[in-house]
Amino acid sequence: MLKKPRWIGTLTGALLLTATLASGAVLAETVKIGFHAPLTGPAAVDGNSALQGAKLAVADANAKGGINAKEVELVVYDDQASPKEAVPIATKLIEKDQVVAAVSGSYSGATRAAAGLFQAARIPYISAYAVHPEITQAGDYVFRTATGGEQLGAAGAQLIGEKLGKKKVVLITLQNDFGQSMAAGFKLVAARYGIDIVNEYQYGIKDRQFGPIVSKVKADQPEAIYASGYFFTAGPLISQLRAGGVEAPVIGQEGYDSEKFMEIAGKAAEGVIITTSLDRDSDKAVTRDFIANFQKQAGFKADMVAASAYSALSVMITAMRQAGADAADRPAIRDAIAKGSFETPIGQLTFSEQREVRKDIQVQVVKDGDFHRHSVLPAAELPSLAAQQ
Amino acid sequence: MLYLELAVQGLVQGSIYALIALGLTLVYGLLRILHVAHAALFTLGGYLGVLVTNATGSLTLALLVAMILVGLVGMLVYRLCYQPILRKPPFVALIASIGLFIVAEEGFRIVFGAQGLSYASPPLQEPVSLFGGIALKQAEIAVMLGGAAVLAVLGWLAGHTRIGVACQATVSDPAMAESFGISLAKVRYLNFFIGSALAAAAGVMVALLNNLVEPGMGSVPSYKALAIIVLGGLGSVPGAVAAALVLGVVESFGTIYLGDLLDRDAIAFAFMIAVLMLRPQGLFARG
Repeated sequence: MLKKPRWIGTLTGALLLTATLASGAVLAETVKIGFHAPLTGPAAVDGNSALQGAKLAVADANAKGGINAKEVELVVYDDQASPKEAVPIATKLIEKDQVVAAVSGSYSGATRAAAGLFQAARIPYISAYAVHPEITQAGDYVFRTATGGEQLGAAGAQLIGEKLGKKKVVLITLQNDFGQSMAAGFKLVAARYGIDIVNEYQYGIKDRQFGPIVSKVKADQPEAIYASGYFFTAGPLISQLRAGGVEAPVIGQEGYDSEKFMEIAGKAAEGVIITTSLDRDSDKAVTRDFIANFQKQAGFKADMVAASAYSALSVMITAMRQAGADAADRPAIRDAIAKGSFETPIGQLTFSEQREVRKDIQVQVVKDGDFHRHSVLPAAELPSLAAQQ
Repeated sequence: MLYLELAVQGLVQGSIYALIALGLTLVYGLLRILHVAHAALFTLGGYLGVLVTNATGSLTLALLVAMILVGLVGMLVYRLCYQPILRKPPFVALIASIGLFIVAEEGFRIVFGAQGLSYASPPLQEPVSLFGGIALKQAEIAVMLGGAAVLAVLGWLAGHTRIGVACQATVSDPAMAESFGISLAKVRYLNFFIGSALAAAAGVMVALLNNLVEPGMGSVPSYKALAIIVLGGLGSVPGAVAAALVLGVVESFGTIYLGDLLDRDAIAFAFMIAVLMLRPQGLFARG
């Protein structure tokens, strides 16, 4: 069959994008942090949001004197969310740019491919929002500031079964690592909360028309629907569910977390609940400042991806400050991340032995076309993924 | 009742496939070109539909503007992209077409942004209750009725007007048709206009169903429509329409009952492979 060649995309991907972010203060030396994100191609929306978040984090750091009087320079490449782009990019960041540390503002495929290379070079690396379990398994230099997919799915079950008290649930699962890992986590703990999974339906990332699934869900009569996806799949899905007469509450996750979701789903978005990492109604200064400054800088509202990229960068920068005067002692940076506690726009972060983040999960609900606080699932009370119980 | 509802949903999807595949099969019948870039015209139709509706508030106007403009763009594609290479082997046109499709897709991304566009207040979204407890969106009904009406009109025109008969004659024997005084160029332009206008209508409809047009929305139709015209027997208009409707229904049931094994696009291709093994000439081709 005809496969669409991607050579044009590869050409654009080869374009080097180096963003040197000078703040007001002129600092003598620079210290480089690598960053890759999908700036073109289908994931470009998230990639650009992530880049804006990362830039803001660097600008904020430089305004506060950089890292031990050295200016932070963000070296940016476009990976198109593709593993085959991510490998040469990681190599370039390591060999040519000789970055001290790196952050991924990309999806799981690209992040997984790059993680192994950064690990081999002993360069501290943080995945801002890619959730695939194998990313952090690359080794002890790879961290993640996003709640892992399985944990997020398990939290969804906790939210539905315990907080919302709904027991008869239908899963609508996106067939990729993000959707599958959340469905796995959900199923793992569902019984603990008395949840009966009536049915599960799968869809592909290119699907926008869910007519058959809507018909079947209507016949299933669930009390709640746990649907994984991104705003561009969830928007059409939810508007079609509501138009098809399905009124059960829909619980989604951070993939929905974009103002575009509201634009697509319109009225149907009202009442949709998601588990995510950015609390729009937060009273914490660091979160409020981030939300306000981001909108000023980027011209659009902050979303989960932007907040995650900002937070990953700010963890890295804080750790580099703590690691010593020259800010290039990589084992010391690694240790600083592993042992530290970081105040970021997505909450207070610490890391587990497996270098996975420990943080509260923010539950947001759509009200009047905006995300607002529904509740918080505290880090300490999240369901354990161990099989006991 | 569920089965009926799934069948109806399949027909909605199938009507969209039919509108897209029709233009493709017209072009193939006439020029033996696999017109992959056709899917870009479908996307363009979707964008124009949303832009004009948002600017004027009239969906009817948007549909007309999209169909006419995209029809003209389709003629332009023929003039600029295919006509100069008609004498080259078919793969040359195919490669040109794929190239054009990629350029168009990236063009949409640059011009309209990667995020895609939505209707400011999407029209035809109210549910309508039909017989047997089936509820459809107004837009879904419009897709089916609109699709059926377009096909009926085209079928009538093809059999009952001079130009329609000329088109049919050109498809079956271009040299003979030309010797009877039929202008090949006119017939080709007309075919590109009609096929492209129908793709644009499909784009506007899909935008209504999803409330989202994106640069990549043509990528699935670009190859699925090829599968459909192969299924229908290459170049056959009724075959393509029937294959589109059958595929829509097969996908609808497949999504629910085979979803764990195959995703929707895989179902389409598995179906195509199975049919081609049993009937290599296509589902509906004669002989």
